[in-house]
Amino acid sequence: PPEIHSASRARVRSGPAPVTDVAKLCVCDLLVAQCDVNCCCDPDCNAADFSLFTTCSVPVVTGDSHLCSQKAATYSLDVEANPPERIFKLIDQVNPSVFCIHATNYEQALSFPSPEIPTSENFDQLLKRFGSAAFSAEPDSWDAITDAQNPSDANETYRYKYGVPVQTVDMFLRLPSPVVSSWCSDMNPAGFLVNQATKCTRSISVEKCGDVEAVSMLFYLNSSILTVPKSSQMVNVTVHSVTFQSLNGTRTLLNGSDVLRLPMVLDELCVNIVLGVSYHITYTDTGEIIEAAASFVLGAINKEALSIQQSFEISFTQVDTKPVPLSGNPGYVVGLPVRAGFRPQGYPFPVLAALFLNSNKYNQLTILQSASNQDCLAAQGARAPVLFGYNIISGCKLRITAAMKCQPLTQTLLDLLKGQNFPEYVASFGNSQAQDVLEWVPITHLYISEQITSNTFQSPCQIPVLLEIEVKWTKYGSLVNPQARIVNVTASITTTALRPLPSGRERIIPVTSSVVFTEVSSPAEPGYKAWPTINIKLPFDFFFPFV
Amino acid sequence: NSHQLSSLPLQILFYVNGIYYTFYFLATLAMIVYKSQVFSYPDDFLAPDLTLLFIMAILEVLRLHLGSKGNLTEEEVPLGLSLAITVGSVILSVYFLVWQTYVLKADVIINTVLLLTYGLESVLKVTAITAFV
Repeated sequence: PPEIHSASRARVRSGPAPVTDVAKLCVCDLLVAQCDVNCCCDPDCNAADFSLFTTCSVPVVTGDSHLCSQKAATYSLDVEANPPERIFKLIDQVNPSVFCIHATNYEQALSFPSPEIPTSENFDQLLKRFGSAAFSAEPDSWDAITDAQNPSDANETYRYKYGVPVQTVDMFLRLPSPVVSSWCSDMNPAGFLVNQATKCTRSISVEKCGDVEAVSMLFYLNSSILTVPKSSQMVNVTVHSVTFQSLNGTRTLLNGSDVLRLPMVLDELCVNIVLGVSYHITYTDTGEIIEAAASFVLGAINKEALSIQQSFEISFTQVDTKPVPLSGNPGYVVGLPVRAGFRPQGYPFPVLAALFLNSNKYNQLTILQSASNQDCLAAQGARAPVLFGYNIISGCKLRITAAMKCQPLTQTLLDLLKGQNFPEYVASFGNSQAQDVLEWVPITHLYISEQITSNTFQSPCQIPVLLEIEVKWTKYGSLVNPQARIVNVTASITTTALRPLPSGRERIIPVTSSVVFTEVSSPAEPGYKAWPTINIKLPFDFFFPFV
Repeated sequence: NSHQLSSLPLQILFYVNGIYYTFYFLATLAMIVYKSQVFSYPDDFLAPDLTLLFIMAILEVLRLHLGSKGNLTEEEVPLGLSLAITVGSVILSVYFLVWQTYVLKADVIINTVLLLTYGLESVLKVTAITAFV
C-alpha cells in the first residue's frame, strides 16, 4: 500500500556511521591508494616503505581520554632493526584520575552528532534553522552613513569639514563617475573641498532622448545644497555659463545663460544633452557653503550614437579670495610649484600691504628650460616652474660673435636666466595668502664675479653665465607631522669676463641655471609636560606655640 | 541489669550513615555540576539526575529518622518502615551506580560504599526486628 512506502521514504537519512575502531583510524592517510610519507598507520604502505620513514607523524590513536579504560593503537618505528620496521601495538590505556568516565548512558556523549541530510520533507525546517542571507546591499543605507558621520547632538552646530559629502535636500551632491567599468554611476558624492574631475560613459540614443534624466540640465540643477549639514538653509545651484558643442566639436559660448535648455529631438538629432558640468562652490572659512554655480557644455547626438562621454568637475573657492592653486597646506608638498610674487612699485611697506602675485601666469618661481637645440636665443621664453624639493639644472649654449656689445649682451643673458618678472618674494608656506606679508621670504641676490687678472687695463666685460637659486627649507611643526617651510632663498649670479674677440671669430659659452633645495632643519626637541609638583601648604598656625 | 533490646551496632551504623550520606550527597551534587561543565550534559538528562538525587536525600532523612526512633523505642513498626524505605534507597543508589548519564569512577566508589552500608544496615535491622517481636 502506498502509505507504507511513503512512511519508509520519510525516514530521516543520515550520513555514514562514524568510524570508532582505533585500529582502523588514520588521520595522516591523505592520499588514496598511495603511501603517505611518515604515516605509520597508513594501510597502503608496505614493509619496504616503512623502512624509509624517519619518524611516525601520528604515534598514537585513542578515543576520548576521559574514559577510564580505552583501547589505543600505538605506532612506532624500530630504528635499531635493519631495515627499520614499524611496530603496531593495540594497548589498553588507563586513565588514573578518579574522575574518569566509567560508563555513559548517553550515546552522543563523546562524539559529534551526525548532521541531518536534507530531504524533501525536512528541507523547509532545516532552511529555517540554518539558512540566512549573507549580504544586504541596500541603497537605503545612505541614511546610516549620514548618521554615523554626524553624531546626534542637538546642541552642536554642524559645519562642513574636508571630505564630508556635500549634502542636498534629499541626498548628496552627485558627481557621476565611473565605477568598475567606464559607465556612469550617479551615486558618487562630492566631498567638501575635494576638487575632483571625472569622465564616464552614458548610454543614450535619439529614441530615448527625453527619457534619460542624467543628460538634461534639470538633473543637475534641481537639488538645492544645504549651507551646513543638517540645516534647513539651502543654496540653489545657478547656471554660470552654457557652452554649445556642435557635432564636429566646435564650442561656442551662449549668451543667454539663464534659460533652462531641455533635451529635445530636432531634425533627427537629440539636442541640448549635457556633455559636461563644472561646479564651482564658494565657501566661507567657517565651513559654510554660500554659493554654487554650474557651467554646462551641451551637445547633440545623431541617430548612430549609442553612448556619450560626460565629464564632470567640481572646485571649491573661498569667498573673497581669488582662486590660487595651493602648493601645500600648510607645508610645501614635494612636487608642487614654489609660489612667488613681488611687491608692486611704489608701495609702502606697512604690515598689511598685499603682495601682487603676478610673477608669471601661475605665480610661480620659474627657471630656464633647456631646449632640444641648446641655443639660448632661439628658445627664448620657455621656462619651467620650480617644483619644491626637486633640484633642477638647466642650460643652453650662447654663440657670441665679435659684433655683440657688452651691455646688450649682459641684459639679454640676465633676461634669459631670470626670465621676465623675476619675483622678489617666495611664499614660505604652500598656502600663504597674499595678505600675510610676514609669510613671504624675500629673495636675496648675490653677485659673484670671476676675477681674472688681466694684463691690459681694459675693464673686462662681465657677463652673467650662471644663476644658482638656493632654497633653504626647514621642517616646521610637530614631530609626527612636520611641514616644509621655506626660510631663505638666495639667487647668486656668477659673471665671467668676456674678452673681446677678434673679428670674424665666434665663441660658444655655456649658460647654466640651477635650483637646489637644502634642508636646514634644526634637530627636533620633544616637548614634555611639566613635572607634577607636590603642592603642600601647611595651615597658617601650624607651628603655633613657636611662631 | 536492664534488658536492653535496642541494637547498639545498628545505632552506631545509623550515626555513621548520617555523616556518610551528607558527604555522599554533597559529592554527588558537586560531580554533577562538574560533569555539566566539562561534558555535554543536555537538560533532558540533567533534570532526572538532579531530581532523583534530591528524592534520595529526602528518603534518606526519613529512613534514618524512622530507623533510629524504632531502634531506640524498641518498636518494630518504624523499623519495618525504615527497612521498606531502604529498598527504595537501594534502587536509587543502583541508579546512580549504573544508569546515570555519566558514571565516573568516583561515583562507582561512593555508591558501592553506600550499598554496602545499606546491606549491613538491613541485616542488623532484621535482627533487631526479630529481637523486638
